[in-house]
Amino acid sequence: MGEPKIQTPVERAPNAETVLPLSRVRTIMKSSMDTGLITNEVLFLMTKCTELFVRHLAGEAYAEAFRQKPSETLKYEHLSQLVNKSKNLEFLLQIVPEKIRVHEFQEMLRLNRSAGSDDDDSESGSESDE
Amino acid sequence: MVERIEDLNLPNAVIARLIKESLPDSASVSKEARGAIARAASVFAIFVTSSSTALAHKQNHKTITAKDILQTLTELDFESFVPSLTQDLEVYRKMVKDKKESKASKKDTSSSENANASSTAVVEEATE
Repeated sequence: MGEPKIQTPVERAPNAETVLPLSRVRTIMKSSMDTGLITNEVLFLMTKCTELFVRHLAGEAYAEAFRQKPSETLKYEHLSQLVNKSKNLEFLLQIVPEKIRVHEFQEMLRLNRSAGSDDDDSESGSESDE
Repeated sequence: MVERIEDLNLPNAVIARLIKESLPDSASVSKEARGAIARAASVFAIFVTSSSTALAHKQNHKTITAKDILQTLTELDFESFVPSLTQDLEVYRKMVKDKKESKASKKDTSSSENANASSTAVVEEATE
C-alpha cells in the first residue's frame, strides 16, 4: 500500500500509476454489472477516473467552502452543499444528504435552495448571497 | 459478488491522500467529510460503470471499453475528466506494450530487436 514510489503527483501529469487499489475498484465495478469481464485497460481507466473524481470533489467543495466563509477545514456540510447545487453530482443526493445541525447552515441551505431552483445552472457561481 | 457492504469501501488512507493532494497545504479535512468523499467515490464508480454498460449494450457490445467510459463521462457532464484520462490511457497502453515487448524479447533472445508484440490491445490476464 504505502509505497513511497509515487512522488509529487502533479495534477495533470499523465501516468500509468494508480493509487487506489485495482482489486477494490474491480469489486465495486462488478457489483453494478452482470457482465463479468472487465479488461485491465477498463479497470485502469475506471480507477484513474475515480481518483480524479475524488480530487475534483474535494477541490470543488473546498473552493466553495472558502468562498462562502474562509475556512481551512473541509467539512461535510461543504460537500453536501456542493452536491446540492451541482447538476453533475445529482447522483450523490442520497449518498451525501444535507445534514441539518447548525442553524446557520439551515439558513444558508435555504438561500442555496432558492438560488438553485430559480435558475438551474447557477453552478458556476452567480450567487448573490454573501 | 459482494458479500459485505464494506467490500465496496475504498481504503481510507488512499482517499485521505488524494484529498490532501487536491487541497492547499494549510487545509484540513474533517473525518466526516472524508467518509462522505469515500462513499461518493464508490458510488461514482458504480454509476459510471453501469452507465457505460448501458451504453455498450446499446451498441450491442457485451463488455465495456475505454471508449465507452470516456463517452459516458462526457454524457454525465464530467467531460473535464476526459483529456487527462485520455493521456493517462495513452501512457498506460504504451506501458503495457513495452512490457509485452520486453517479455517477448526475453522469450526468444534471437529476435529481441524486432520483438513485435502483435496486438497491444489484447486483454491481459486478470491479475489480482
